[in-house]
Amino acid sequence: MSKLIPPLALAVLALALTACDPKTPAPDAPPKPPSADPGPPQADDEPVDGGAEQDPSEPLPPSPGDPVQPAEPPAPSPATFDHGPAGQLPSGQGSGYLDRTVWAPAMCWPLQEAGFANSQVYGPGGGMGPPGKPSQCDSLNYSLPWRDNFCEARSRTSPLCGSGTGHQGQDIRPATCKKNEHWAVATEAGTITDIGTYTVTLVGKAAPHYTYRYLHMQMSTLAVAEGSKVTAGQKLGKVSNDFGGTPTTIHLHFEMRAGLAGVTTDGKPVAISSFIPPYLSLAGAYQRKLDGGTCS
Amino acid sequence: MRNGQLIVAAAIVVVTVGLGATMASRVTAQTRVDPATGAPIGAARPPVATRPPAATTVPPRRGGRVDWQGAVGGLRQSGGASETLGANLDKAEVDATRVPILLPNDPKLTAGARIYSFGDYYTITADAPGAGISLSGTTAIVPLPASRPLKIEPLGPEGLTVQRTVDGQLASFLRYGVLYTVEIRCEKAGDLRCADDNYVLGLVGKTTTVVLGAAARAEAGLGG
Repeated sequence: MSKLIPPLALAVLALALTACDPKTPAPDAPPKPPSADPGPPQADDEPVDGGAEQDPSEPLPPSPGDPVQPAEPPAPSPATFDHGPAGQLPSGQGSGYLDRTVWAPAMCWPLQEAGFANSQVYGPGGGMGPPGKPSQCDSLNYSLPWRDNFCEARSRTSPLCGSGTGHQGQDIRPATCKKNEHWAVATEAGTITDIGTYTVTLVGKAAPHYTYRYLHMQMSTLAVAEGSKVTAGQKLGKVSNDFGGTPTTIHLHFEMRAGLAGVTTDGKPVAISSFIPPYLSLAGAYQRKLDGGTCS
Repeated sequence: MRNGQLIVAAAIVVVTVGLGATMASRVTAQTRVDPATGAPIGAARPPVATRPPAATTVPPRRGGRVDWQGAVGGLRQSGGASETLGANLDKAEVDATRVPILLPNDPKLTAGARIYSFGDYYTITADAPGAGISLSGTTAIVPLPASRPLKIEPLGPEGLTVQRTVDGQLASFLRYGVLYTVEIRCEKAGDLRCADDNYVLGLVGKTTTVVLGAAARAEAGLGG
């Protein structure tokens, strides 16, 4: 585990995280805390996309530059654990979206255990990771602080990003660098409306009916089917690296979508269904889990 | 930005209701049908036992009002297609939907479609060879602050936009005061239907059939 978290804190963390699964009986063994020594990745764990979730033949777009800071002073984060500010992407990785809105303030943390929100592309083992750190299982990837990577440089459309393109969700590494072991769970009560080759879509029962997309779970062992009505915290599937035949890094790509009404950058009113930044909702949910909250 | 502005769901009233603790299978009984053959696709996975929800929510009215006059006009223009295409969908879910449902004039695509309704929001999942199609409509729309503009260029009078996703193309547009989406997700990265917006725009172009279930007909003043 990370050198940043002392063993006692890890034990508390493990206990707190166990407390947030209202339906799952206490396991025989305590959940494993994040480990800095997860062992070498398997051969099929090597990501062919560098963690970027896009066609390897399609290069990442150049960074559009530093993000524009909002005029308003930053609002306090809903979380106190060690996490970077919303929208703050390291230089050269794109322009983060600096809105501090907590879009889903009652959302459940989408993993049963701990997790590490950070960049799959720019972290160790990623396609643009630091030199000399080729393993996705590097302890840096399994350490605090969290990092926002909504709007990180990508070629996909993301209208809230300054350039109009960028990462459409948040990447989260599970508690350890082992695939098919750590459960992803429902963030709120709703219905599984679609299951793709590497995607599971949950629509929230409550307005505004957020669409949550979970990518890269082990699709052959999902705990839900299309049409399943789920409760908050219910197991969906295990975090893996499924990516339609070619593996990505071991992580959960987590997306939130909603119907949005606003104006375009040139002042035209517009209503679209699009991606909203999940980082602060995730941070708040994780903090509640650390504090022993439940998700029902 | 004030803290009070940060909590989007502050307006959401949560009402806790007592519900039994009986475990129950809650998988919607809709049959997937191969659009090519019309044959039922075998249930891939067994029903999943879940708890009843401990709480239910009373959603606020968000977004604009439905233009029922326009929707009824669309229903009339749809003619018999409304009934024939709508018959493929689960009637209870259709009847629970309080917004006009839009379907593509594509009997092959809608043959095995499944609808999931949340009253003011519905989504329909359909299968195409090597791809999944989603069609949804909603009046539950979240307002963005003016200081957070969207960098996208709407096309046409209905504010049509197309966005490229990780696995496909996502189009959305306003009609009858409802925000509709048409999305394709491809199984293979190189699928041309997902590489550009031609396919999804074609699908939007033929998504004109209006279906009104019981709740929508009541709201439109058409009676049962």
